[in-house]
Amino acid sequence: MAVFQLPEWMALAPALIMAVTALALFVFDSISPRSTNRSLLAGTAAAGSLASLAVAVWFSTAGVGTPTIDGGLGEIEPIHGLVVDQLALYFMIVVAIVTALVAVASYDYLVDHAYQAEYYSLVMLAATGMSMMAAANSLVTIFIALELASLPSYALVAILKDNRGSVEAGLKYFLIGALSSAIFVYGISLVYGATGHLYLADIAAVIEAGGADGYGSLLGLGILMLIGGFAYKTASAPFHFWAPDAYEGAPAPISAFLSSASKAAGFVIAFRVFTEAFPVAATQELIGLDWTIAFVILAIVTMTIGNFAAATQNNVKRMLAYSSIGHAGYALIGLAALSADGGELVMGAAMMHLLVYGFMNTGAFLFVALAEHWDVGRTFEDYNGLSAQAPVACAALVVFMFSLAGVPPFAGFWSKYFLFTGAISIGSTAMLAVAAALVVNSALSLYYYSRLVKAVLIEDPLADRGALDQPTGLYAAIIVAAVMTVALLAGFGPIAEAATDAAAAALA
Amino acid sequence: MTVALEYYVLLSIALFCIGLFGVLTRRNALMFLMSVELMLNAANINLIAFAFYHGNLTGQVFALFTMALAAAEVAVGLGIILVLYRNFRDVDVTVPTTMRW
Repeated sequence: MAVFQLPEWMALAPALIMAVTALALFVFDSISPRSTNRSLLAGTAAAGSLASLAVAVWFSTAGVGTPTIDGGLGEIEPIHGLVVDQLALYFMIVVAIVTALVAVASYDYLVDHAYQAEYYSLVMLAATGMSMMAAANSLVTIFIALELASLPSYALVAILKDNRGSVEAGLKYFLIGALSSAIFVYGISLVYGATGHLYLADIAAVIEAGGADGYGSLLGLGILMLIGGFAYKTASAPFHFWAPDAYEGAPAPISAFLSSASKAAGFVIAFRVFTEAFPVAATQELIGLDWTIAFVILAIVTMTIGNFAAATQNNVKRMLAYSSIGHAGYALIGLAALSADGGELVMGAAMMHLLVYGFMNTGAFLFVALAEHWDVGRTFEDYNGLSAQAPVACAALVVFMFSLAGVPPFAGFWSKYFLFTGAISIGSTAMLAVAAALVVNSALSLYYYSRLVKAVLIEDPLADRGALDQPTGLYAAIIVAAVMTVALLAGFGPIAEAATDAAAAALA
Repeated sequence: MTVALEYYVLLSIALFCIGLFGVLTRRNALMFLMSVELMLNAANINLIAFAFYHGNLTGQVFALFTMALAAAEVAVGLGIILVLYRNFRDVDVTVPTTMRW
């Protein structure tokens, strides 16, 4: 028992802190609109996200969300439609970590940028939306939180107003985003039509009680459209094609933010909707199809497209963008396994992968940010021989690349290993196919990741570059991400336990 | 006399398909935005008709939220289209092609 009792709305503190930070930055901007006090602004954003992280970790260790049978405080539902449980806290932690890294790295990236305060407040607002997505358990709150995360992201991608690439990326991201949110909300309306509810638990109750009988096709179409919305947010097939352009054109810290935090937030709503609202057996009876099949197909297609396209790239940032699509495919395995016994292990492994990915992928994109800061160029050849001039950053890059590829002993290996063993232990044909695809794609991914490592470590530079400076913020963020990618190895037991518990609680 | 539910659904599906057709064929970014608005409004028709059918207000209230969010989305979208015009001197969505494959 806690010594003192906090009011229930305080359970949302991780998200609220982000929102308050965003508003504080807006207030600062309205008082002194032309200020370019980078340390104050980046410091506020980083402090806000670290505070959010600390509170989320505290809640999670204090037993918020842990079932009362296990001595925890149980799920807390401060408002109808928002729930704080283990799953929510876990993803709030992921979002807060990525936001903190991005805020620190942006300190150097935004030198000479005219819109400092706007940038940081938009980042914090998007992070608020992502935190809320983790807690939303009604289709209304899910949609609103999703838009709260999306709208600032569109502006952030296009924030380099005079840069054609950034504007083009923003346009493409926005157009696909607007289309997919229209499809998503239409899907919500169909699910509402079939069941009469938007609250996830009520939808499940109606489906199980047979209240939606005769509306199977309506519900099936609605679920299909919802999957489209999730696919967009997580950058998986068939709505993945915005990702390479948006990540390539966006400022690199924003690419890191979108490809790690936004993807994790997309997965948490997918996990929650499909574990809570659509019980597999009853839904299958109604629509005549097991929806996990859709995720089996999407997982295989997504990881194959992502990895094969990544292997053909010459531009490093674009390669990382496609690899990010491939990793969405790996995490989709968690959804594909939900119907089977032992599905919570696989879903837990997918959650672990998203946490590890939050460090290694953010770090990799931040290295690209560092390269853009140095102005060395964008292709693999332009990165040749960087290790001679910047050994520390390149060592970190090697860690990220090998971890992304899933080479032991880095954290990326363990999350993939758990995904693989979980899928194998279920043993159905579909899961074996998914596991095989995971192995083949991981092997392929080693090719293009090690190509970057080779360029940086072994090749000689094409042309002489001037001396490279060491921007404090970017270096700090990259080193923290690299250290955590390695250090997670030691902490993997508790993390695996937390993720599996959260998955089991969500499935129960 | 009330109109049967299926006519509302037919109307909304028709509106959704018109919007989708517009999204797929129009090259002007503003027309693209308008088509997306059609699709969102198709969802609103559904929500309101179903709310009437189910006899609860959830759908109607959600339709209000959808309208507000659609307005916010258009605000951000118009901003992006504005910088698009400044950079490319055009609002044709097929013009910006600096990044491919």
